[in-house]
Amino acid sequence: MGTTSKFDVVIVGAGPAGCSSAYLLARAGLRVLLVERGRSAGSKLLWGGKAYAQPIREVWPELDKEAPIHRWVTRERFSFVWGDRILTVEYKLGRSVAFTSYLPELVSWMARKAESAGALLVEDVRVDEIVVKDGRVVGVRSGDDVVRADVVIDAEGVNRMLLEKLGLAEKLDVNSGVALGVKETLSLDSKLIEERFNLDKGEGLSWLVAGDITRGLPGGGFIYTMRDSISIGLVIPIGPAAKAAEEGILKEHVSSLVESFRLHPYFNRLWREADVIEYGGRMTIEGGLSMMPRRLYAPGLLVVGDAAGFLVNTGYTIRGVDTAVYSGKLAAETVIEALSRGGFTEDNLKAYEDKVRRSYIYRELRNHSGVEDIMKDPFYFTKLPQVVVGAAGRLFEADYEEPTLIRSVVEASRDAGISLVRAFFKLARVVRRL
Amino acid sequence: MRVVVGIKWVPNTQAVRFDPETGTLIRRGVPSIVNPHDLPAVELSLRLRDEVGGEVIAIAMAPPPASKGLEFVLGMGVDRAILITDRVYAGADTLATSYVLARAIQKINAEIGDVDLVVFGQETIDSSTAHIPAQVASWLELPYIYYVKEATVVGNGRVRVVRELENYLEEYELELPAVLGVAIRALKPRPVSLSMKLRTKFEKRLITWTNNDLKLDPRCTGLKGSPTIVAKTIDMPEVPRRREVFKARDAREAAKWIVAKMLADEKTRELLYRSLWGGRG
Repeated sequence: MGTTSKFDVVIVGAGPAGCSSAYLLARAGLRVLLVERGRSAGSKLLWGGKAYAQPIREVWPELDKEAPIHRWVTRERFSFVWGDRILTVEYKLGRSVAFTSYLPELVSWMARKAESAGALLVEDVRVDEIVVKDGRVVGVRSGDDVVRADVVIDAEGVNRMLLEKLGLAEKLDVNSGVALGVKETLSLDSKLIEERFNLDKGEGLSWLVAGDITRGLPGGGFIYTMRDSISIGLVIPIGPAAKAAEEGILKEHVSSLVESFRLHPYFNRLWREADVIEYGGRMTIEGGLSMMPRRLYAPGLLVVGDAAGFLVNTGYTIRGVDTAVYSGKLAAETVIEALSRGGFTEDNLKAYEDKVRRSYIYRELRNHSGVEDIMKDPFYFTKLPQVVVGAAGRLFEADYEEPTLIRSVVEASRDAGISLVRAFFKLARVVRRL
Repeated sequence: MRVVVGIKWVPNTQAVRFDPETGTLIRRGVPSIVNPHDLPAVELSLRLRDEVGGEVIAIAMAPPPASKGLEFVLGMGVDRAILITDRVYAGADTLATSYVLARAIQKINAEIGDVDLVVFGQETIDSSTAHIPAQVASWLELPYIYYVKEATVVGNGRVRVVRELENYLEEYELELPAVLGVAIRALKPRPVSLSMKLRTKFEKRLITWTNNDLKLDPRCTGLKGSPTIVAKTIDMPEVPRRREVFKARDAREAAKWIVAKMLADEKTRELLYRSLWGGRG
């Protein structure tokens, strides 16, 4: 053992970003090694949700025909929940731009495409280190084995142990920038799903829920309809939740929060007889620019996907799969261009960072970076739902006289224990930031 | 030394569920894995090879997807693998399976070279019969030792084998060839290595044998060669569970909580008293 071999490109991590790079580079005729720690590509992923199709089609035009797409999203719902009062807004899309799927399935499809394009996929193998020699990345080490490469693409995901070792990323601080996602998969007949969610055949719904289902903690719930199952769960930033647990404010384990959500009388009727066929938890980045490493490149190295912090949280939608795929595409383009410009020098690889900064990924991250402040402010998760739901209650639960809209908001604010002025400014901030 | 190690590609029973109506396992969507009992057997085989040289050959009788499992053990360092697959082998019980495996081992012996040792995991997680190693030893008329914990080569074509029984160890010096059944926690299996995985990708180390190669009488294989009848399966009704998490720094506090919970439920209370005092509470 302790052997050495050589590839043009070694990609660490067969997720959506890694598979995209691998596919495009192998198709361009490069010798590509894609190394995955999990039992198979996608096996360590948990995500089941809504992915935006267009950026993914740029890598795989055959997406619509071939990929494991569950449903095309035609309904977006958003609900505020407080106690037994719920305010829901639904939008029916004129044109579907996103689909629901389970990421393990989607990635397994992407990995097969990469393999058939000629990339070498090695599963069950952990990369321990990105090897640096004379100031440039020259390969990866796994156990006693070193594999050399002209360029390494780091697609290791949210827990950036390799980048930390290199000093390119700060040590992961669970108190900022990362959240815990807990998901349950409920199996339900596809006809029942369509009936209960008011969908036509093959149509899907994406539903975000805020309020006391997180017991007032930052974060929220999600419901996505799949072909014959439903994906539900919570995403809760770890820092505030840990603090609340320490202070005794949060008394429940996060798994029982998800169970309470599933058993919530308003939602539970939608999947009454469904079986929980899977549940799990996974760390995810929260979104915004703060998780972006100091640099996205180094001599012989590019960083893509979650490892690069490319998760966009707009407050009403969350997207990380398409941005991962798109960053994988930009990295592959950079590598191919660098080859024709004389190699993987710092200058040639810097083009990747420029491409990212000019792309929609960076614009989205920058435009919605205000969400980070909102996620930190408990007001939006305790007071705001109370004000919104409370005001609606005053409007709709009147036996004789209904208050004016402004009056109902004033009274709801008073009940929630905040001044109207403060509520107004906070709301203005939401409008400005989201 | 040439070691043959048997591998089974099994549904991960931790994820598998039972269909109460048909009494069969629901395998749909359940990921398969290498039978965990086989991994210490592979490790033991590799250690013997590393010690005295030679080769380790993994064999599996299974449908084609099992090649994934053979690739896994090739990644651990197994030198080559043979997938024995044919429609006429489908539906086999342990008798028909051990017959095919034994004939395959004889073919290895005749065409590849003398087999010194045949190693199996003690049992499989999806059926737990522990028949296969014993039956293969019977077909091949070889000595068989089970619950093996370690094996070392002592020279003169002999191995020293330690087996672990409930409260004592037994040591044997065994003449080769022989068959060993390896205990599940005997050895910690080595991880898959990148270089071995790459070797597997670049060199053809996995071959397939069908019944065209083994030329066995189909009446002795698969469903036809399987006298075992599953007369009845008794479904243990699932107890409805409510997931609860109790957090305490002190174990005593946690124990009190559990006992209080158990006492609160009439059925559990009765079971508890019965197990403690053998009578009704």
